[in-house]
Order: sequence, then C-alpha cells, then structure tokens
Amino acid sequence: MKPRKIKDGIYWVGAVDWDRRLFDDLIPLPDGTSYNAYLIQGSEKTALIDTVDPTTSHVLLDRLSQLNVERIDYVIANHAEQDHSGTLPQVLERYPEAQVVCTPKCKGMLVDLLLAPEDRILAVDDGATLSLGDRTLEFIHAPWVHWPETMLTYLREDKILFPCDFFGSHLATTDLYVSDEGRVYEAAKRYYAEIMMPFRKIIQKNLEKVQRYDISLIAPSHGPMYDRPEFILEAYRDWVFGDPKNIVVLPYISMHGTTRVMVDYLVDALVGKGVTVQQFNLAVTDIGELAMALVDAATIVIGSPTVLTGAHPNVIYAACLANALRPKTKFVSIIGSYGWGGKMVQQLAGMIPNLKVEILDPVVVKGHPRDEDFAALDKLAATIAEKHETLK
Amino acid sequence: MDKWECIVCGYIYDPEVGDTDSGIVAGTPFEALPDDWVCPECGAGKDMFEKVE
Repeated sequence: MKPRKIKDGIYWVGAVDWDRRLFDDLIPLPDGTSYNAYLIQGSEKTALIDTVDPTTSHVLLDRLSQLNVERIDYVIANHAEQDHSGTLPQVLERYPEAQVVCTPKCKGMLVDLLLAPEDRILAVDDGATLSLGDRTLEFIHAPWVHWPETMLTYLREDKILFPCDFFGSHLATTDLYVSDEGRVYEAAKRYYAEIMMPFRKIIQKNLEKVQRYDISLIAPSHGPMYDRPEFILEAYRDWVFGDPKNIVVLPYISMHGTTRVMVDYLVDALVGKGVTVQQFNLAVTDIGELAMALVDAATIVIGSPTVLTGAHPNVIYAACLANALRPKTKFVSIIGSYGWGGKMVQQLAGMIPNLKVEILDPVVVKGHPRDEDFAALDKLAATIAEKHETLK
Repeated sequence: MDKWECIVCGYIYDPEVGDTDSGIVAGTPFEALPDDWVCPECGAGKDMFEKVE
C-alpha cells in the first residue's frame, strides 16, 4: 500500500474503501468511497491533514511508515466525524509530539466523540495560520459543511485547498485526480444532495468565502482531487444558488396498481406540457438517487395508496427524508387512492414543515380512477406547468 | 423587537416569547441573548441567525 506523491513533500496517504456499500447505516454507496488524508512536509514541520475511517487505520499508518515519517508536528482535524478523525487516537499514540489543530467547537467534539486528550488539541481562530517553515497553512472556518465544527485548510504556497467533506464525492477509484468529469459530477451531486443540501443557505456563504482564495487544486476527503477546481465550484454554484428547474420528482408506491394508473397518467400529462418527470417507485428506489433528483426539482408529487388509514410506510420515509434534506422545491402535491377511508393527505402534508412550498390541490380517489379523476390529474399537470412557467 | 431566523434549521427566535427552556424570559431581544446561547432546535450558535425582514 503505497502513498501517492502530489508534489515534493505533499502526499496522499488515504484509504480507498472499494467494498463499502452503506454509510451511516442509511446512505447507499454504489461506488464505494475513500477517506483521503494528506501529508505535508515543510522545511521545519510536518502536518497530516485529516485521518481515515477507523476500519482502515492500518492503511494510513502503513503509508506513513512507507514514507519513513518519524515525526508529525500537527494533525489538522478539519472535521470531527469518525470517518476523518477516527484514526486520531492511533496517530497521536504513534506520534507523541503531535498536536491536533481544529476549530474551538471541534475541540469539544473530539473530546466528546473520540475521548481525545484535551491537552493535545490546539484550537485555532478563523484565518489563523501555522508555519511549517517554507509552507504555510491557513485555517478557514466554514461551519455546517456539514457539522457545526467544520473548517477548511488552505496551503498558501501551493494554492491547495483541503476542504474535507465540502466538495467531496463517494467514489472509490485509483485515480488521484478527476479523470471522468461526468462520473464525478454524478457522485459529487449525490454527495451534495445527501450531506450538504440541508445546509444550502450556509453553503452559499461558505462558497463565497472559498472563492476569495486563489486555488489550483481542491483536495477533498472523499473521492478524487479536482485539478480543475472550477469544475466543482461551478457545479456547487448551480446546486446552491440556481433556481429550481422545470422538473417534477414523483416518488410513489402502488400496492394494487391503482395509484400506479394515476402516476402513469399524470406523467404522460406532464410530459405533454413540456415538464420533465423523474419517477421513483419507492419499493425499489436507491434513496441517494431520489435525493439527487430533489436538488433541482421545482415540484414534488407524492403518490401513495392508503394503508391502515395513512400513507404507505415507504412513502412516509421518503416524505421524512425530503423534509430533512430541505431542497429548494417550490410546489408539492399528493396523488393516490383509498379503499374505504383514511387521512393520507393530511398526514403527508403535515410531515413536510421544513419545505417552504405551496401545496397544489391533491387528487385522491376512492378505488380506481374515473373520468373526473383523470380530468383532475390533467388539471394538476396544467397547474404545475403554469407554476413552472413563473420560475423562468 | 425583531424576530431572528436560524438559517440552519429555520427556527424563529421571537423575543415576545423568549426561550424559557434555556432560561431566556419573554421580552428578551435577540441582541441581549448571551453569546453562548444556541438554537433550541438544532444547536447552531447566534452567528447562524439572520434578522427576519
């Protein structure tokens, strides 16, 4: 397991996790992931930027051995989460002179989460610098990407930004740098949707902060490095600042096919009005795909049958996720069916208080849809198309 | 007195109501909240709040 040289005195010493398929026991990882750590050797001091997930501690320690690193002066903890700081205890044990450098908030979290020794943690202010001799690290406080304690580290002389999770992508690859922008765009967008989107307003501020720096390389903590930083900066600008697009996301469940008939009819009607639809059968949906679709969609239409007086549990799960992810959606509607009664619409509408949306008239039918129900779906499609026109 | 919104979670601090769980009595303006006061919903600090216009 060899370290990878970025330039003289700067090495990638992370771990690629090809086999991981689930993060936080929640988020699917179709392409695995990586935990990137970077070693920076100055003329006087040596710094390690972030560590790796505790399941891969040995990989980081092996790489440091391969480089014959006998002393580390500083371990920069941009983020307290275990997949980046989880190997701090082992690094501190092997390098007894090493000091952890992080934000004041991160200091408390490292002590709480990892039981890290408080006397070895140096809290730094926003804009503080640390000299490694001929190289200088500058620390940029960037809270809420995606925890309250996060910061970014900028290596001045080499113009390298180490943003930890910010701009990351869950992608296992042997490529040190982005080689296929299409593939990385998808992975980075999925990552943004799942991890960063709930903090969109704060990310706007952090993005503006980053853009004040002259950056030639962005080296995130997950996925390949961006040697063309503008690629990922432009993508983020679109995701956080861009207006919602002429897209309907339609997550649904159909137990006996009735709701499915309505979904198919509505999709055709929307397409006929020039609206793009992304349809997700929640029985077989990768929730990361759904989250990614929510990044741009102007409207969500939820489709559900009625089960035990409420929405189907998979639909409730999707509504709960959408509410937590806080996409820039402007309109929501609900379609579906029931056999004899229930409160599906009220239940779902009450589950999305975080979405600042206008609720469009739901279409919920008893049994199989009839002519008047199809007419109501046509009307819903027309309303959505009209509303989307106002966004342009 | 102005209301302030947490841009992390959307919680609105209403000075007319205060935040009694944190010992903030009704009638306390946002500016007078202690520096270590945090959003009762998500734990974000005061610097994460914006004035509701």
